Amino acid sequence: MTHKNDHAGVVLGADRLSKAYGPVQANRDISLALGAGEIHAIVGENGAGKSTLMRMLQGMERPDSGSVILDGAPVSLSGPAEAMARGIGMVHQEFMLAPDLTLLQNLILGSEPMTAGPLRRIDWAAAEADGKRLAAKIGVEVDWHVPAGSAPVHIQQFTEIIRLLRRGARILILDEPTAVLAPPQVEELFALLRLLRADGASMLFISHKIPEVTALADRVTVIRRGEVVFAAAIADTSGEEIAGHIVGTEAPPPPVPLAARAGRTGPVLALDRLCTGKHQHVRALRDISLTLHAGEIVGLAGVAGNGQSELAEVLAGLRTAETGRIALNGADLTLADTAARRAAGLGYISADRRYEGLCLPATIALNTMAGSQRRPPVARGPFLRPAALLQGARARLDHLKVRYGRLGDPVSSLSGGNQQKLVFAREIATDPAVLVVSQPTRGVDLNGIATIHRLLGDYRAAGGAVLLMSEELDEIMALSDRILVMADGAIVGELPRGASMQEIGRMMVMGADHG
Amino acid sequence: MADIRFAAMLASLRALLVPFAVALILAGIVLIVIGENPLAIFGLLAEESFGSARRIASTLSSATPLLFTAVATAICFRAGVFNVGVEGAFLVGGLAAVFVAFALPAGLGITLIPLALVAAMAAGAIWLWFPGWLLARFEVDEVVSTLMLNFIAAAITGYLVNGPLLSASAGNNMTPAIHDAAHLPRLMPPSTLHAGFLIGIAVMVLYGLWCRYTPAGVEGGLVGLNRRFARAMGISVSGTMITVMCLSGAIAGLGGASHGLGQLFRFSDAFSPGYGFTGMAVALLGRNHPVGMIVGAVLFGALASAGTTIQLFSSVPLDLVDIIQGLVMIFAVMELALPRLRRRRHA
Repeated sequence: MTHKNDHAGVVLGADRLSKAYGPVQANRDISLALGAGEIHAIVGENGAGKSTLMRMLQGMERPDSGSVILDGAPVSLSGPAEAMARGIGMVHQEFMLAPDLTLLQNLILGSEPMTAGPLRRIDWAAAEADGKRLAAKIGVEVDWHVPAGSAPVHIQQFTEIIRLLRRGARILILDEPTAVLAPPQVEELFALLRLLRADGASMLFISHKIPEVTALADRVTVIRRGEVVFAAAIADTSGEEIAGHIVGTEAPPPPVPLAARAGRTGPVLALDRLCTGKHQHVRALRDISLTLHAGEIVGLAGVAGNGQSELAEVLAGLRTAETGRIALNGADLTLADTAARRAAGLGYISADRRYEGLCLPATIALNTMAGSQRRPPVARGPFLRPAALLQGARARLDHLKVRYGRLGDPVSSLSGGNQQKLVFAREIATDPAVLVVSQPTRGVDLNGIATIHRLLGDYRAAGGAVLLMSEELDEIMALSDRILVMADGAIVGELPRGASMQEIGRMMVMGADHG
Repeated sequence: MADIRFAAMLASLRALLVPFAVALILAGIVLIVIGENPLAIFGLLAEESFGSARRIASTLSSATPLLFTAVATAICFRAGVFNVGVEGAFLVGGLAAVFVAFALPAGLGITLIPLALVAAMAAGAIWLWFPGWLLARFEVDEVVSTLMLNFIAAAITGYLVNGPLLSASAGNNMTPAIHDAAHLPRLMPPSTLHAGFLIGIAVMVLYGLWCRYTPAGVEGGLVGLNRRFARAMGISVSGTMITVMCLSGAIAGLGGASHGLGQLFRFSDAFSPGYGFTGMAVALLGRNHPVGMIVGAVLFGALASAGTTIQLFSSVPLDLVDIIQGLVMIFAVMELALPRLRRRRHA
C-alpha cells in the first residue's frame, strides 16, 4: 500500500478517505489503489462502508478528508456525470435500464449518434453497428431489438457494460454483479470481465462471495466497520484468510445441523396448480403445485425475479391467484384474506423487512404485537389495553432474546439482525403451522444470520413447516430438507438435500430456457 | 410508548408555534412597509383576543367550529387518507341538524338537541362514506372526489335554502330559525360562547383516546404510517379507509350541528366561511395531535375574532389576518418537509 505522495500507476484510488454521516463514521482513512488492467475486489459485510466508498469514488459524496486519485493525481469529481466523462463507469446492482425501451435504445440513451446534414436524426444504423462491434469485442451476442424488460437478466447486465464501454469507460465499478445471476451466467460474466482486463480495462469488483473473489480478482481489499482491515494480492492470500478478515474477531457461525423432527407430521400446506396473471413487471406464476409437511423446510431456489416473491405474496394473501387452490391443514384458504390466513396458522416473513415486515417509525411494542391487536388479552371488548400490549411485546421479545432499548423506541433504532429477530418473534408467537420465509437474512450480519438459521431449525424441530425463499443458494442448501427450483414462474424440478450447487444451477437455467 | 407520545406532543407544539412566529415576523415587515407600527398592531391583536374574559370567550367561540373540522381532518390524515371534504360534510351536517331543529314539533323540547346532533352525524358520515367507498373499492383519488363533493354540498344546500327550505319570513337564502328549545346553552352570556365548545373539546379528547385505546385507532395509525405493513399484518386497509372517512364525516357533521344550534340558529348560504379548510390548516399545524390542534384552533380563533376589531380601531385592513393565516400555512408545510429532506440526505 503506497499512499505517501506516490500515486504513480494508480488508475483509480483512494487516499485516506473519511466520511461520517452524523455520528456514524461510514469510512475512516480508506486507501486503495487500482492499477491498469487489474481487477480489484472490495469485500465486506453489508454496512461495512463499501457503498459510501463507491459513492465518493464517483463524486456523489464529498469526502470529509482525504482524496480520490484518478490517473495518479488527486481529483475532485462533481458526480457520476463527470466521473463518466473521465472514464469511470458503474454497473449498479439494480440495472439502470428503461424496461420498455429496446436494448439498442437503452444503449444509446443520453449519447445518441446523429446523422449529418441539416435534418439531424438519430443514426440507428450507426448505433447498431456500435453495439455489434462492442458485443463482439467482449464475446457476447445480443439481440438489440427486444425490450430491455423482457431480455434475460445477464443480457441486461451485458448491455449495461457495453453501454459504459461505448461511452468511453476504462474503469468499471461493478456492484455485486453476480447477485442476480445463476451460476453458469456468472461464469459467462467472468469470462467477459477477464477479456476486458486483457484489453486494459481496470475494474473494482464489489462482492461478498469469497469464491468469486479468489476466482476473478488480482487484488483484494477487505473493509470492516468503515476501515480497511486487510489488503493483499490474491496470489498471496487464501479464501479462509479473507473470510477471517471479513468477520474479524467474531467467530464464524457454526453450520446448522438439522435436528430430528418431533411433534407434528403429515402434510400441512398444499398448493394445487396456482396461477397468476402477468402484469407490467410482475412475473406470472404457472401451475405451482407443492405439498409442505410438518417438520420440514422446503427451499425454493431460483434466480431472483423468477416468481419466488410473487408466490410468497400469493401465500400471504397480498396477491390473488387467478386459478388453483391453497389448503392449510385441509381448510381451503384460496379466497381467504390475510387476516383469515394468519388466524388459520400461516406466518409470513417478508423479503422487504424495512417496508413490509416492519413499520419503521412505529414503536417496538406495536411492531411486535401487530396482528394481535384485536385478540385478547391485548383487546378487551372494543378497547385496547396498552399495558397488555407492552407485556405481550416484552414476553415475545424476551422469548427470542431480542436486544432492544425501550419498548417505546421506534423499531428503526434496532440493528438489522435484531429487527429480523423481532419479526420472527411476532410471526411465531401465535404458533403457526406454516412459515413462508422470504430472504430471511438479507442485510443481516453474520452473527444475526447464525441466530436466524437456528430459529428456523428450532421451529422445524418443533413440527413447523417452512417454505424458504432465498437468493443465497448457500442458505437454501444449508437449511432445506428438499429443494424446489423455480424458473420463469414455474417449479421446474426438485432435488434432495445434499444436491450440489452445480445441479441446482443447471436446473435454474434449464428451466429459464424452456420459458 | 409514553416517550414517543410525549415527543409527538412536543413536536406538535413546536410545529405549530414556529410557523406562527415566522408568519408574524413577515406580517410585521408588511406592516412596516405600509407605515404601521407592527408591535402596536400585534399588541392590539393580542389584547383583543385574550385581553379580558369576554374577549377570551369570543376567541373560544370562534375556535369552536375549528375544533370539529380539525379532528375530522386529522382522523383521515393520520390514516394517510387525504380527505379535503370536511367543509362539505360540515355544511351537510349543519343543514341536517337545523332542519331537524325547526321542522320537528317544538313540543319535543330539549330532546330536539340529541335528535339534531344524531341527524347531523349521520348525514356527515354518509356524505363522506361515499368517497371513502370509491377510494377503497375503485382507488378513486380521494383528494379529487372529496374536493368535488364540497362543491356539490355547497350547491345542494344552497338550492335547498333558496327553495324548499326557504324561510317564509326571510327574503332569501336562509331557513327558518330553529325552535328555542333546540338552542345549545350559552356558557358565558352575553358572549356567543356556547356548549358546542365543550362538545368540541370532548370530541378532541375522544379522538385522542380512540387513537390509543382502540384497535381501530391503532390500526388507523399503522395504515397511515405504512400501508404495505398494515396489509401484511392482516389489517383491512380498505375497511380502515372507509371507517376513518365515516368518522370524519360524523365529526364534521357534528361540528355543523354545533354551529347551527349554538351560533347561527338557522342555516344560510353563508353558513361556513371555510371552517373545513381552516380546520385542515389546524390539523396540519398540530400534526394530528389533540393538544396541538386545540392550541392551533384557539390561535386561529383569536385571529378571526380580533381581525374585525383591528379593522375598526386601526387603518389596517382585515386582509392582514388572511395574510397571516396564509403565511402560517406556508411555513407549516415547510416545517413538515424539513425532516424529510434531512432523511433524504442520509439515505
